[in-house]
Parts: sequence; structure tokens; C-alpha cells
Amino acid sequence: MSLNPIAERYTRPDDLAGVELDENSSYFAGGTDMIPLQRAGVTSFVALHDVKSTDLGRAIELVDDHWRIGALATLSDLEDHEGLADDIVAIREAMRQVATRQIRNRATIGGNLLQRPRCSYFRDASIDCWMKGGSDCPANGGLTEHLGVVPTGDATPCVAVQPSDLASVLVMARASVEISSTSGETRHVDVADLLAVPTISRRSLNVLEHGEVIRSIRLPVGTPGSRSTYRKAMDRAVWQFALVGLAATVTLAGDGLVSEASLVAAGVGAVPHALAASVDALIGKPLDATTIEAVATAAVDGLEPLADNRYKLALLQGLVRQVLAD
Amino acid sequence: MRAAELDDLTEADVERVGTPIRRIDALDKVTGRARYSADVSLPGQLVGVIVRSERPHATIASIDISAARSVEGVVVVVIGDDVTDYRWYEDDEPLLPPVGGTVRFIGDDIAVVVADTESIARRAAALVEVAYDDLAVMTDVERADDEDAPTLLGNEDIAVDEEGRGDVETAFDRADIVVEGSFRTPIAVHNSMEPHGGVADWRGDQVDIYTSTQGINDVREQLAERLGVEHSHVRVVCEYMGGGFGAKQVPWKPTMLAVLASKITGAPVKVMNDRRSENLAAGKRNATIQHVRIGAKSDGTVIGIDAEIDTEMGAYSVPGEAAAVEGPYLYLYRCDDVRVRTRRIRSNLGPAVAFRGPGYLESTFVLESLMDELAKKLGIDPIELRRRNHAGSDQQDDIPWSHPEGILRSYERVEEASNWVEAFEREPSRRVRRGRGFAAHDWLAAKAMPPGHATVEFNFDGSVHIGLSSQDLGTGTRTVLSQVAADAMGIDMEHIRLSLGDTSTGPPAPTSAGSTTVPTMSPAVRAAAVAAVADLLDAAAEHLDVDRSTLTFDGSAVTSSDPEVDDQPLAELCTDLSPRVVHGWGSKEQTPDDVSPRAQGSAEAEVEVDLDTGEVRVTRVVVGPDCGRILNQRLADSQVLGGVTQGIGFALTERQIVDHRLGAVMNPDLNEYLLPTVSDTCEIVHAALDIPDLNANVIGAKGIGELPLLPVPAAIANAVHDAIGLRFRELPITRRRVLDALSERDAAAANSNDEKESA
Repeated sequence: MSLNPIAERYTRPDDLAGVELDENSSYFAGGTDMIPLQRAGVTSFVALHDVKSTDLGRAIELVDDHWRIGALATLSDLEDHEGLADDIVAIREAMRQVATRQIRNRATIGGNLLQRPRCSYFRDASIDCWMKGGSDCPANGGLTEHLGVVPTGDATPCVAVQPSDLASVLVMARASVEISSTSGETRHVDVADLLAVPTISRRSLNVLEHGEVIRSIRLPVGTPGSRSTYRKAMDRAVWQFALVGLAATVTLAGDGLVSEASLVAAGVGAVPHALAASVDALIGKPLDATTIEAVATAAVDGLEPLADNRYKLALLQGLVRQVLAD
Repeated sequence: MRAAELDDLTEADVERVGTPIRRIDALDKVTGRARYSADVSLPGQLVGVIVRSERPHATIASIDISAARSVEGVVVVVIGDDVTDYRWYEDDEPLLPPVGGTVRFIGDDIAVVVADTESIARRAAALVEVAYDDLAVMTDVERADDEDAPTLLGNEDIAVDEEGRGDVETAFDRADIVVEGSFRTPIAVHNSMEPHGGVADWRGDQVDIYTSTQGINDVREQLAERLGVEHSHVRVVCEYMGGGFGAKQVPWKPTMLAVLASKITGAPVKVMNDRRSENLAAGKRNATIQHVRIGAKSDGTVIGIDAEIDTEMGAYSVPGEAAAVEGPYLYLYRCDDVRVRTRRIRSNLGPAVAFRGPGYLESTFVLESLMDELAKKLGIDPIELRRRNHAGSDQQDDIPWSHPEGILRSYERVEEASNWVEAFEREPSRRVRRGRGFAAHDWLAAKAMPPGHATVEFNFDGSVHIGLSSQDLGTGTRTVLSQVAADAMGIDMEHIRLSLGDTSTGPPAPTSAGSTTVPTMSPAVRAAAVAAVADLLDAAAEHLDVDRSTLTFDGSAVTSSDPEVDDQPLAELCTDLSPRVVHGWGSKEQTPDDVSPRAQGSAEAEVEVDLDTGEVRVTRVVVGPDCGRILNQRLADSQVLGGVTQGIGFALTERQIVDHRLGAVMNPDLNEYLLPTVSDTCEIVHAALDIPDLNANVIGAKGIGELPLLPVPAAIANAVHDAIGLRFRELPITRRRVLDALSERDAAAANSNDEKESA
């Protein structure tokens, strides 16, 4: 049996310090995205550096008032961690709806946040597209059923969505990432800022510079008395990227009114989409049918469907209703 | 012995037939011991990788193979100009287009790169430089009648194939009610676990071919003729097949390219498709557009059926595609006036081929959606409406069905097993609606596809070898034919070895397609076994010098009614008879012409639809396939599980997505071509009938492969209508389609309220 090489050169360093990362090389961890990209010729890195033997770590630890999760923690690690699930159950719920258990056993939390777009035009190496350096977006006038409904303004013609379910949960939970640069400096960036609408000078769904790595994820513990959840809509029961997903957390005060809430949608925009108008309609209100309908109505505030994806608005509203009613 | 000379199989004749024994190769399969074509690894074997067209329709301006050839480990790069003697597809187009030739879809075969390893071949294949001169493209067959539609190969004059009977126009004048609609079914892809392809090994002027196929004899004959060698110089082996579903009922290019590459290199060569190639260039179910109307009297009697069908058949013609899309309209219901007009239209997409119930699945969805609509509009129970329109005979040829009441028995069993007449909760919660739907189906192929032959020999120790050159698609052919032989001889299965899957192990057998293997091969095997027992008694009479009529065989010994003659235990007798080999030959050469053998059935499906999210969840499917005598309930159940699952996929998740501007398939992989997963399945109930159909053949078994699939998509769509009152005329029923339809209805309701208020 012979394996197809995914790059001309493969290394598995123990220490990132010694790695020279030029434009033609890249890091990878689980490889669940990188290997298909290389095989299909969508990316063509000459050298790939496997970071699984480095000190990035995969531990999930409670440190004071937050969780520290090593970037190499697999999605299965997140799914199986009892303490994390007791605190923020949305993480376990989201993980159980990601791909398949085999893929979750391999995919890492760091890599999950850095996935390339799942847009079919991007994924076909023979099709020219803006994200791959082209001048225009072939989805414009094409098939848009799975693409975005959040307008991106003038920054980009790309209408791909952030594919990660986890990203929406992490934004909901106000998580941040620890990033180390090539020179060894460390900085902390909110996940909400790490993931960004692409621009002409940065054709990517995140702001990580080439050569930087995510070392760990920092996740504040859940607010006492809060409840969280993640709901995902797919065309089959499992193993598809979200048509629309919704991460939600709600805290009810003693008077039965909502004191704190965060609703973040997946599958609708280039970044996890915080439903600000819905949260405004929720805070200070009882969680009754009138409130829920107002929150659902507000959920599509500012959304602009493309030719084939108006259904995503109804779907998002439906998920809002379900999440709040249950 | 000819199967026609056999007595009908009666209950007194069966002991092992009908028992749910485990398939005899089950352990080999689950332990990985079973050798599939993709597993074959011969000494010095090379690997070929196919270079495929990147353009949907183009002339090849040039092919530069110099970079590919210079890669270390590359043995040869074969292009069209190297193999100009070979033609392919029904169109007799070049096997590989030469420079100046034409490619007709993205994925069309251009070259094969042969190297020491797959990774080298793959890397070198990426270095083959093809320059194209693009031609006008059409992937959307709805454009076929446009002024500016490009003329594609085979589309020069799109013929209308008309079939039917009576006078449809006047029938509709007499109708009290007409239901009609325009329906669309998608391109679906087989996506078998094992791809197409194989290993070829030339030795001198003979070639052994290990290939994943449903028809080893057909591959042997077709490739021998294309190669210009005798059939006897080609041996084809398919011990196990990892899924075919019709796509492997004909030979395909990867196997032929392996054969030519082996001939050129003098080494064994493997060529297997990758997953993308499977989705682009290895066959698919035709997309259809169907405009259909049904006229009926107010009591539900159908008096006119008129169907206009366009099928999308891809760039080339392959036998078996959409074979019988007109069938359900012509055969399922009693109706004097029927007209079906079908056009087969070419496109710049990969060629279509048969896919489990080809044509029938597509039109059963349409016919049974309209019958459901008719039942709802007339307020007649859907099963009762089908009963009122029972046909019982083939109205095209005016002969009775082999089992005229079979489908009525299916209605009864499904009605009972689904508790159809009991109350059904349709609104379990604010946001969930439940519904149930029913659908019936016909299937044409129960009549078998002769000739099928088998040999049976007694070994000198009394054990038995059965030889045939059929193949086991994974359905359990080895097992059920062994059961048939064991009963015919009275010998336990542990003493029987049955060889198949190799053209050198037995006499000719047909391609396994259309649920015909059991009705063809089980009579042939029984005839061979009966003949072998007769030969045993002949030989024993001669050996013992007694009157043949005094001897009988009970499976373990030949005994005589003459008390002077000792019992002859089988093993000792065979040893004594040595060197004479006791044997029998059996054949199935005819099909009945006084009846129309048909295998029909019905299904009930239950669904839950979430009004908030558009999710359709199938909660239970009951199917009642009339497959005649059930040879092995466990294996029949397995066919039901697979068929219903594929039905759920066709109804809800599966479709090939094409960007018509680019002529490109946008989901040629298993990430985005959504096969149903185990989580998409549901409680699946096999309401087994097990009624021997002795008018179809002497065994009374009709094959079950297609049956549990055919009614399922229509039953699901009808259940969705029952749940939310919306009828989906296009499959699959996705979230988008459900939510858009619900939104449109809400908007229409709001409009009409506004109008009422303003009025």
C-alpha cells in the first residue's frame, strides 16, 4: 500500500522555535482540513510541519475563573470533558453535532478555528475565486444555498461563511486565544476578533499572520445560573456543516427576567454573527411567548439573503424560537 | 437438465430454503478476509491514474506528457493517440480522445499515467498538460429546446419515444377530475463503497481481469471483442463486490485502461477510480422532468394517464440508463388510455447508467404523488384508491401478471403492519406535525434473464461442488443458491462448496441486474442438483447391478427397496464409483411467455416535520415487497434495510449539484453529496409476504433488490403532504424547499387575509 504524499516535505518538530516558515510552508495539526485541501490542489504548500509533537498541549484545565484549553485538544476531548460540560453545556452539544466521531478524534480546537471556507467554489481547485486570489466571486450569480446572508460591505465580494460550529460557541462564551508569533512573542485576542471578515489585503477568515500559532484557548467560566445550548440545522441528521447554527446562553435573574444573554449564529456570515437586536429584545424581559416572538423577529435584523438562501432567515428564526422555548 | 423439466417447488421440498441462516461469507467479510478487486495485489503490479478533462466541452488542442514522463517511477503515459483502435460507449467514440478529439464533460477520460506506486502516478498525472479549445456547453437539459442550445453528440435530433394504448385525449374529456403537475427528480450518484476499476494481468496472449462488476461474463465478452481476442483468452474475476447498484452492470473505462496498460507494460496494472471520479464519470441516475396528468371518474377509477418525460442522460450513451422510466405509467394501474412520451437528452455531464430500479424510481415518485393527490381530493383512502385501480394483467401485451393478486396481498400486509386504519396523532406539539403516506410500485424484471447455467459434481468423498459463473453483489447469492442446492439433494450445506465470481469456475450466467439473479440462477442450480442425483442413481444401479427404479437417495446414502442390497453410504459409494465423476448440469433457458412475471409492492412512511426549522424526520417505514418465495428471510431483510435507506436518501438528502454556468459538478465528494447516514434512518419494518410465484418460475422466487426502494420516496413525500399540507414536486425535500414553501404559504395566507379585510 502506498500513501499519497500531501506535500513534498513533511516534518514533525518537537519545538516550533527551529521551524523556518516561508510562504510555501504551513503548520497543521489534525489535518482534517489541510490534507483534503492539499490533495485537491486548493492549497499547494511544498512543506507541511506537523505540530502534534510540540508543547502546544491538549490539556483542559480550570485555572481560577477560566478554562485553559491547549490548542491540540481534540474536539472529542472537549466533548468528553465532564467539568467543561457541567459548566458550559453548549460546548458538548456543539461538538456532538460536528462531523463524525472519527473526525472529532483527529481535529483540534486550534485547527477548527482556522478552517478554510467550505464554499464549493473555493474547494474546487479548477475554479477561480476571490478568496484564492482571483478578482471576483463565482458564487455571485451562482449557487448560494449554503452561503452567507450577513452583508459584508465593500471589503470583499466573498460570501463564504465561517464553517466552525465551535467558533460561535466560543464567541458566545467570550473566549480568547493565546497566540505566539514567529519571534516568540505572545498576544491574547478575543475569538470574536480573531475571526474577521476578509479584506483585499487579507484573504482569510481570520487575522492570524502566517507563522503565528494559537497556543491555547481561554474560556471564562459560565455565569452562575446561566443556561447555554447549541442547535444546528443540517440537511441530514449528522455530518454536514451548519446550514444555520445557534449558540445561546441566557441568565434569568431572581425576578424571572432575563438579566444576561448572548446569541451567536453560525452559517450565516463570514464571522460568527452576534444577534445584537435579539439580545436587546431579550434583556429585562420574561421568557414568554411574546418575548420569544420579538426576539425571533429581531434575529434577521440587517440580514440580506442571496438568490438561493432566503430560507436561512426563517431557519435562524426557527432556531431562536426553539432555543428559547426549550 | 432444463429447469423447465423440474416440478414446481412445494412446501414438502423445502427444508433449508426459507430459513434465515447467516450468509456463508459473513465472517470473511467482517474479518477482512474477503478479497475485493481493490484488494488484489500481484507481484510487480503497477498503478494507473486517469487524467480527466477539466473542461465540460472542448476540443483537445494539445497534450504535453513530457513532465509527467520524466517523473522517476513513471512507466508509461497512455494517451488517445496511442490507443486509436479502441472505441467506447454506445456512441463508439474513441476510448481516449486523440489530439483534435473532443472531451464532453468535466471528468471525461483523457490519459492514464502508469507508475510504480499510486502516489507517483497521482503526482505525475497532475503534470500532464492539456490545452483545450472550448466549445459551447449545456448541462441544463431544460435549455435543450432553446434556439441557442448547442448541438451535442446524440442531440442532433432528439427523438420522442411514444408508448401506450388507447386514446388519451378523449379519455380526459370524460374525466370527472384531473390531477396534474410538473415534477423534477435529481441526478443521484451510486457512490458505492468500492469504486469502479480493477487489475489486469496479461500473460502471453491471455489476460486475467480482476474487476468490480455485476457481470463477469459480460465484461469477458465485451472486452474480448474490443481487444480482438477470443472469449477464451479473457478470464474475469469478481469474488466480492463492494456495491454496484446498477453502475457496475456494464464494463467501464478504468478496467479497459488497466487491460491496455498491462498489455503495453507487460506487468499487472491496477486502475481504480477515486471518489471524485466516481461522482463525475462512473454513472449516475438520470435527472428527470416529468409533466403528468391523470384523469379519473369521481369514484376514483383512473381513465387516462398522460406523461411527458425528459431525462438527462449525460454526454454519452450507456446501456441500462433510465431503462424503463415509462413503466409505472404503463403497468401499475388498470387504465385503457395511456400515453407516455419520453425524450432522452444529452448534456455535458457524466453518462447515466442503471441505478437500482432505473427509471422506475423516478416515475413511481411522480405517479404515486399524483395518486395520493387524487385520493385526498376525492376523499378516498389512499390504499382503497389503489385497490379500485388494480390491474392484475399486463395491458400492453394483454397477458395476466404471474401473480395477479400479489400487489393486493402487499396492500393488506402493509395496511396491517402500519396500523393504517387506527387513529394517528398529527399534532404532537406546537411546532411538530406528523404525517403518514402510502405508495405502491410495479417492477418488471421478475422474469429472469436467461441463460443461466450451473454444474454440480460429487467429489470422491461424497462432498459436493457447485460451479457457476454468476457473481455475488453482496446480496447473498452464494448463500441462497447453496440453500437451493442443499434442499434439492438433501445434503447439508456444510458439505457443499459453491464457486462463483470467476468466468473460469462455471458455465455462463447472466449479469446480476434488475433483481434477476435469483429467478435465473436458482432454477438452474436446482436443475443441476436434481440431475446430479439422477446421475448418482444411474451410476449406483450400474455399479450394484440392480434395477435403477429400486434405488433412492436420502442425502446420506443410496438405499434400495430390495432388502438383499446393502445401503450405500454416499462417501463410500462415490469412492467405489471412482474414477467416474457423478455430476449434473442445469440450465434456465426460457422465461414464461403466457404470463407477465412481475414483482410489485407497497410502502407506508411516517414523518415528523418541524415547522420552525423545516426538518423532515422519517420515523418509520413499512414495506411489503412481493418477491415471491423468500429463500432466506435474513438476507431479504438486509435488502429491505438497504433499499429503504436509499429511498430516504433519494427523498430527502441526495442530489448532484451542478453550476450550469460553469458546467461543473459542485459536490463530487462524500462531504457534500449527502448520502443518508445511520442517524437518518428509522424503524424499518419488512412486512414480508413470502408467497411463492410458481407462474414466474419453478422455485417461485422473484428477487427483491429493487423492490424495497421503489415506493419509499413517494411514500415519504406523501407523508410530508399529510403532515403539513404541502406537496413537493421536486426531490430531495431539503430544509430550503420546506422553509421556502412554508414561507410562501404564510405569505399567501397573509395576502388573502388582507384582501378579505380590504373587501
